[in-house]
Amino acid sequence: MTSSNFRSWPLFLVLGVISMPLVIMYVYLFVDTVTDTTAGSLIPDRFTLHHWRFLWEEPETGRVSIWTVTLNTFIFAICTTLINVSASVTAGYALSRLNMPFKRFFLGGILTLHAFPTITLIISIFLILQMIGLYNTLIGVILVKTALELPFGIWIMKGFFDNVPWEIEMAGLQDGASRFTVWWKLVLPQVQPGVAALAVFVFLSAWSEFILPQVLAPSGSAQVLSTYLSNLIFDDIKPDFNMFKSVGVFYALPVIVVYLIFNKQLMNIYGGGTKG
Amino acid sequence: MRISIENFTKSFGDTTVIEDMSLEIGDGEMLALLGPSGCGKSTTLFAICGIHRMNAGRLLFGDADVTEVSSQKRNVGVVFQNYALYPHMNVYENIAFPLKVRKESRAEVDRKVQEIADLVHIGELLQRRPVQLSGGQQQRVALARALIRKPDILLLDEPLANLDAKLRLEMRSEIRRIQLATGITAVLVTHDQVEAMSMCDRIAIMDKGRIVQLSTPKDMYENPSSAFVAGFLGNPPIAFLEGTVADGGFRLANSRVTLPVPSGIELPGDGAPIRFGVRPEFFQPGNPLKVSGKVSFVEIQGREELYDVTLENGAVLRSIQAQSAGFRLGEDVSWGIAQDKVLAFGPDGNRL
Amino acid sequence: MRRAHLLGLGFLSPALAIILMLFLIPVLLTVMFSFTNMSTATGISGGAYEINAASLRKLSDAGAQESFVETLGKEAFVVDDAGITAAAAAYGEQFANEVGSQMLGERFDSRRDLERAFRKLKSRPRSTRDIKKAADLFKRSVLNVRFETAGGLLDAVTGNGIEMTPDQQELLTKTIYTGWTWTSDNFALMAQIPYVWRVAGNTLMYVVLTLAASVGLGLFLAITTFYLPSGTATTFRAIWFFPRILPNVIFVLMWKWLAWDTGFLSSLLGNFGVPPRNWMLDTGANAWVFIVLINGIVGASLGMILFGSAIKSIPQSMLHASEVDGASRWQQIRYIILPQLRWPIMFICAYSTLSLLTSFEYILLSTDGGPGGATEVWSLMAFHTALDNYAGNLQYGLGAAMALMLVIVGILASLVYLRIFNFNDLVAKPRIEQ
Repeated sequence: MTSSNFRSWPLFLVLGVISMPLVIMYVYLFVDTVTDTTAGSLIPDRFTLHHWRFLWEEPETGRVSIWTVTLNTFIFAICTTLINVSASVTAGYALSRLNMPFKRFFLGGILTLHAFPTITLIISIFLILQMIGLYNTLIGVILVKTALELPFGIWIMKGFFDNVPWEIEMAGLQDGASRFTVWWKLVLPQVQPGVAALAVFVFLSAWSEFILPQVLAPSGSAQVLSTYLSNLIFDDIKPDFNMFKSVGVFYALPVIVVYLIFNKQLMNIYGGGTKG
Repeated sequence: MRISIENFTKSFGDTTVIEDMSLEIGDGEMLALLGPSGCGKSTTLFAICGIHRMNAGRLLFGDADVTEVSSQKRNVGVVFQNYALYPHMNVYENIAFPLKVRKESRAEVDRKVQEIADLVHIGELLQRRPVQLSGGQQQRVALARALIRKPDILLLDEPLANLDAKLRLEMRSEIRRIQLATGITAVLVTHDQVEAMSMCDRIAIMDKGRIVQLSTPKDMYENPSSAFVAGFLGNPPIAFLEGTVADGGFRLANSRVTLPVPSGIELPGDGAPIRFGVRPEFFQPGNPLKVSGKVSFVEIQGREELYDVTLENGAVLRSIQAQSAGFRLGEDVSWGIAQDKVLAFGPDGNRL
Repeated sequence: MRRAHLLGLGFLSPALAIILMLFLIPVLLTVMFSFTNMSTATGISGGAYEINAASLRKLSDAGAQESFVETLGKEAFVVDDAGITAAAAAYGEQFANEVGSQMLGERFDSRRDLERAFRKLKSRPRSTRDIKKAADLFKRSVLNVRFETAGGLLDAVTGNGIEMTPDQQELLTKTIYTGWTWTSDNFALMAQIPYVWRVAGNTLMYVVLTLAASVGLGLFLAITTFYLPSGTATTFRAIWFFPRILPNVIFVLMWKWLAWDTGFLSSLLGNFGVPPRNWMLDTGANAWVFIVLINGIVGASLGMILFGSAIKSIPQSMLHASEVDGASRWQQIRYIILPQLRWPIMFICAYSTLSLLTSFEYILLSTDGGPGGATEVWSLMAFHTALDNYAGNLQYGLGAAMALMLVIVGILASLVYLRIFNFNDLVAKPRIEQ
C-alpha cells in the first residue's frame, strides 16, 4: 500500500538496520567465493577462482566427485517431485471429487498426517530400510521423502481441485466423456498452476533435504549435496569458509534460479499451502 | 423424444427433496420447470441428465428405460447456468469436444462445427477463447456444444440468469428459435416466470419438491390452481385481500365492506377464512364494483403507471393503468374490481 | 461397488500404498521398537545363543550359582552315539561296540578319566596316543557354539549331561541371548536419567522462545513491508523469504561463518580489542541466542508471508476510512490490522509448536546440542540416542521410546487441529453421483 498519509522513511530505516546481518551474510556468501581476505580484515582484497577448484580438481581419496553428488541430488529431487506430484494429483482429485467408500476416513487421515511431524518417525524408518535392504540407496531416500511430503501434496491438490467448477465436469460427462477423460482433458488443465506450484515446492524441499539422506544414505555413492557439504564442514579441522561457501553457492544456484522464475507460485504455496 | 418421469423420489442424506413426482414431456415440446429456489427443479434436471441418481422411480426416453443409464450414454445436451465452457480450449475446440470424445473424423467434425456455429450465429468467433467472449456469445457457444451431437433432449439450467437485461431479451427468443429449428425436446429450469411464459409450450410450476400445476402459460395465468401459482405468475404480481365468508359474500377482514362473489364458485360455510386475488389489470377506475382507499405508492414506468391503493382496513390492491392517468400520492380514490376476473382461494390456498 | 468407486480407489491407491508403507507402518513400528532393547550390540534382525567367556561372566553377574557357571564353562567327555560312530570309523567296529555296550551315556569330567575307562576295554587301540585321540572324539562342549534357538541350546547343554532346574534354564537363555528382546525398561530408564529432565526443560524453552521470535518478527516484517512502497517492500520480503527456501546446511553455514573465531564477528570486534572466540559455542547463553535467531528467522519468513497475505485481504476502503477518521499509524495497526490477523497468528502458533517440538535440523547443524548439552532438545536427544552417538552403541529401542513421546504428542495435537479446522466443512459431498 502506498498511503500518502504516513511517511515511509522511518520504517525503511528500521527495517534496513534489522535486515543488515542477513544482507551482510548474503553478500559475503557470494563475495567470499571469488576473493581472498587477509586474516583479521573484513574487506576482501584479492580476486581468485581458487575456491572453486572442487569443480575441476580430482577429489581427494575417499571423497566423491562433486558432479556425481550433483547428479545424485538431481535424481533425488526430480524423482521425488515426479512421484509426489503424480500421486498427489490422482489422490487429491479422488478426495475432492469422486465417490468412494471410507472417504471421510481417508480425508481425516490425510489431514492428520499433514499436521503430523514426520521427522519423529526417522528412527523406525531407518530400521525398516535396514531390514528391507534399501538402506544407503537413493531409492530408499526418494521413497521416504515422497511419503513424508505426500500428505501435504494431496491436501494442496485437493484444495486446487475443489476450486474447479463442478459444471465443467458435468458438462464433460454430458458431452459423452468418461470420468477419466474428464479428469485428464478438462479438469487437469484447470489446476495446472497448482501442479506447477506443488512441483516447485517439492523440488526445492527435496533439493534442500538434509536429515533424510544424512541418516538413511550416508555413504559416498548415494551422497547428495547437502550431506556432501555438511561432511565437508564437519571433517575439516581448520575450516576453509571460502571453499565451503563456494560449494554452498554451487548448491544454492538451482534454488536461486527457481526462486527467480517461480517467485509468485512459491509465495502462493507457502502462504496458502500450510493453511490446512 | 418423449420424456416420462414416473414416481421419482430423490433425497440427499436425510432430507427428501423430491417425493413421488411424475411428469410427461411430449416430443418436440419445450417445458419450463418453474419455482422458487430450493423447490427441486434443478434436482429434477440433474436426474434427467443422469448427474444425480434417482432414489426411486423410473425415467423413460421414448420407450427406453434410462434410469440406470450413465450420463454419457443418455444423449442429452445440457446448457449450464454459468455455461461451463472449458477455459483452456478455444470456441472451436469447445464445440468439437463431444465429437472428439466419440472419435469422429476431422472432416466430419469440421463440417458439423461449422454448421452448428452458423445456426447459433458464432461462425466468426471459432478461434477465440471463452474469456474473450461476451456473456451472450458464451451462451451461444454453450448451446452449440450442447447441440452438436444431435442430442435427443436439450436441458437448460437457468440459461439466462447470468446475462444482463438486454441480452436476456435477445437470448430468450434466440433459444426458442433454435429449439424450434431443431425440433428438439427441451426442458428449461428457471425461477423467472417471464422466461417460462415467453419461451415454453407448457410450464410445470414446482413447490417444495412437488409439481403444483402443469399447464400452458396462458391457462396457468388465467386459471391458477392455488394462491401460490397465482402469486408466482404475473408482473406486477397479483394482490390478495384477506377476509371471511359472510352471507354468501366476501367480508373484508377488519371491515364492514362485503363484496359479491363471482358466479360459479362453491363457498365454504359462513365465517370460513378465504382470500380474493385481484390482478393489477383488473383493478381499474372504470370497473363497476367500487372499493375506496388512498394511493400509497406510485411508479411511473413510461408506457404504464403502477399504483398501490391502501384500503381502509390496511389491505393493499395494485393497479396498472395506461400512461397519463395522473393520480397523485395520497389521493383518495374509489376504483372498481372486474368481478368475473376475481380469483378466490380457500383456507388451504387452493382455488375455490 | 460402482465403477466410479473403483476409479476413486484406483486414483487413491498409489498414494495410499506409499503412505501406508512409509508412514503408518513406521508409526506402529516406533511403538514396537520402543518396547525392545534394540541397539547396535543386539542387531536388528534376530539374535543367537552362545556360551562364551563374556556370556559366562554376564551369567554370574546375573546371579547364577558359581558351580553352575563353572560346569557350563568346562568341557566334558560324554559317551554318546555320535562319538561311538566316529570311533567306529577311526578304530574299528569292535572297539566301538564295546564302548557302546559298556559305557553309553556315561559322563567324564576330564579326558584322563575317560582314558582310564578305555584302558579297561579289551579292544582298545594299542598306543596311548590313539587312546588319547579316541577320547578326544567324545569331547563335548557348549562353549563358543552358536545356537539359533533356545531349545537347541538347552538340548545341547542337557546332552552334555548338565542337569538344570527350570529357573536355571530361564536364567541361562535370557542372559546369554545376543539378539534384542522385548522390554519396557526404556520408559523407566527415561524417567530415571536426570539429563532427560534438563532436555525437557530445554525443549520447552526452545519452543517458547523461537515461537515468540518468529511470530514477533513475522508480524513486524509483514506490517512494515505493508506500509512501504511496493518496490522496496518486495526487496525486503525477498531478503527475509530467502532463509526459508535456502537449504538449511547453507543457512547454518552463513551463521557459523558469522560466529566462528576467525569469522566476521570476531574480526569486526577485534578492531575494538575484543579477543576472538567462537561466539556460537562460547557459552550456553550464546548458543541459545543463535539457536533462537536461526530458527526464529526461518519461522518469521513463513509468518511474514501468511500475515502479509492476510493484511492484503483487508479492504483498502477500510484503511482509507480509518485514515480519514484521523487514526494514527499505530492506531490503524492496533484496531484494524491486528484484529484481522488473529486467525493467522493462531494458525502459526499451532502449526509451529508442533513442528518446533519435533524438528532438530538447525540445532543439529549449528550447535549439535552443545556446548555441553546446553541446547540439546528432546527430538535431538532421540536422534543422538538412536542414530548418532559418539559412544558407538546406537540404542534404537531407547531412542524409539523417546521418539514415541513426540509421536503421541503429534497425533494428539493433529487430532485437536482437526477439530479446530472444522473437519466437517471440508468433506463436501460429490455433486456427480455416477
